[in-house]
Amino acid sequence: MSRFLAFISSIRWQDIVDILINSYILLRVYVLFQGTNAFRVLVGITSLWLAQEIAASLGLILTSWAIRGITAAAAIIIIVVFRNEIRSALQVRNIKTFLWGFPSREQQTPIDVIADSVFQMAEKRIGALIVFPGNQDLGEAIHGGIPWNGRVSNEMLMSVFWPNSPVHDGAAIIEGGQITEVGVLLPLSHRQDLPSDYGTRHRAAVGLAEVADALVIVVSEERGSVNVAKDHSLTPMQDSQMLSRALKKHLKMPDISPARQRERERIKLAAAACISFLIMAGIWFGFTRSQYTIIALNVPIEYVNRPPNYDILDTSVDEARLQLLGSSALIKSLGPGQVGVRVDLSKAVEGRNTFTITQDDIILPPGISLNKIHPTTIDVTLDIPATRELTIQVDWIGRLPENTALTNVSVLPETVKVVGGSKTLEKVNTVYTSPVRLDTLSKSGSFTVPIVLSPPSLKLAPSCPERVTVHYRLEERNPSGKK
Amino acid sequence: MRYFALLSLALFCLAWHVCPATAQEQAPADAEAAQKLSLKQGLMCERVENLTPVGPGLVFSVSSGQVCCYTSFDPVPQHTVIYHRWFHRDELSTQTRLRLYPTKWSTYSVIQLRETDKGPWRVEIIDQNGRIFDVLRFSIAD
Repeated sequence: MSRFLAFISSIRWQDIVDILINSYILLRVYVLFQGTNAFRVLVGITSLWLAQEIAASLGLILTSWAIRGITAAAAIIIIVVFRNEIRSALQVRNIKTFLWGFPSREQQTPIDVIADSVFQMAEKRIGALIVFPGNQDLGEAIHGGIPWNGRVSNEMLMSVFWPNSPVHDGAAIIEGGQITEVGVLLPLSHRQDLPSDYGTRHRAAVGLAEVADALVIVVSEERGSVNVAKDHSLTPMQDSQMLSRALKKHLKMPDISPARQRERERIKLAAAACISFLIMAGIWFGFTRSQYTIIALNVPIEYVNRPPNYDILDTSVDEARLQLLGSSALIKSLGPGQVGVRVDLSKAVEGRNTFTITQDDIILPPGISLNKIHPTTIDVTLDIPATRELTIQVDWIGRLPENTALTNVSVLPETVKVVGGSKTLEKVNTVYTSPVRLDTLSKSGSFTVPIVLSPPSLKLAPSCPERVTVHYRLEERNPSGKK
Repeated sequence: MRYFALLSLALFCLAWHVCPATAQEQAPADAEAAQKLSLKQGLMCERVENLTPVGPGLVFSVSSGQVCCYTSFDPVPQHTVIYHRWFHRDELSTQTRLRLYPTKWSTYSVIQLRETDKGPWRVEIIDQNGRIFDVLRFSIAD
């Protein structure tokens, strides 16, 4: 009991917010994509990912690699294959619908009104073509069309398909409770087995049903019959009840009262919300409350807010060793750039400054805490940039040839301009070349050699050469040695 | 006793007139003398025998055991001191104080060599006011 209480008390308010936000994101994904094929494939990919994690934890290397490859490929395939579905799901009227809208609040299609109106039109020999889109996007199948966005009613349908209406020849598209477009041109079927008395309207209905998962109601002007085109077939409708059933089946509307349906949807959403919360809480606790691990990292120290007039001349250390504490999952997921040590130099002065590294100077991802740091203090020496002209001297090494003396050495140029901190330059009077071996020298001659600047914080002025020419003369040593 | 008193008075008067003038003019005179002091020759050598440099060069073997900085001044207007400041890789290693006497004077300083002394050196020859007469550069090698 005490362990449980300790566990509860260790949960921060940020953790709760973290879980709630992600649970809501998961719920929104479900709400926006539910009923689509893309959602089913998404569930499949998630299952694959879980299988891959399980395989990896069991040490099944080849299996986990294979599943990982399949998951990656499937993720790309889902985007390509279901792009229209994804677009339809994400294409909402406004941001509020995207963030807050729930299906139960959206307008339901008035099935009975539509069914009655269709049979009234049939009775009056008014031709009609009404499209109810399925999950697939119809954008690439249909053409033309005039945005209508009128609420579905008996009068509205009658007026659209009234023979004198300028849009009565095309199809009307009904989505939810609205006629979204009228005068839409549908693709014609090229099937040879259709009855010869079927006209263009019937061929258009079958044509669209062939290429998409939409349901199309076609009302014959000549015979006054009602047919429904769906999935390559054209089914005659005997009465409005039959049509209502077909529509409800297509729109996945259960044959229950609207109130009962709303109640059922609310329960479904509540269950989805609970499952989302449980999944996210499980993932979160799995990540953050798994076995605690300590890791030691060498992290480069970043110096920020350097006073503009100063250069950083020297630092006692360039990186700090951090001992971090956190769950093994979080520690494993640590990436470069997530951990940092940042020292603020805004209050630094010229010369040597000692900074104590505090918790505020260390950047850590959430859930990771600092156990220890070394060193706890950092010395930073700041200096004002300056330029100084320094004499170049050759750094001879090795041994002179036997019985010879180096009697003359000249360096061209003799001096070089060096840029660095003024305090550093005060202590430097000579610039040396890289080491030159004496035993390779002949009687006299010249060579070029690079300049080596020390300390490394010094730089050559832009116009100065990086190599110098050395002229030398070797002479036989006088046996007496006297000059 | 009377003559001794007169002689003392005369000496006192002479001192009264002469001494202040000497004190006031001493500093400019020293500065002028320092300006006239001139380095005639400065070189690095293996040793000095009878005030003559032996084995001059710019690179010396550590096995030779020592290296000398020989300097010859002409003229030397008055008794003064100079310094030989020995730097190993820009770090002051040692400093030798040397006396100079009119009217010309040669002198030298010497350091004993160790394995750790290998590398580039320079010797600054300066007077007591810090005026640099010359900088001699050389190397200690194998």
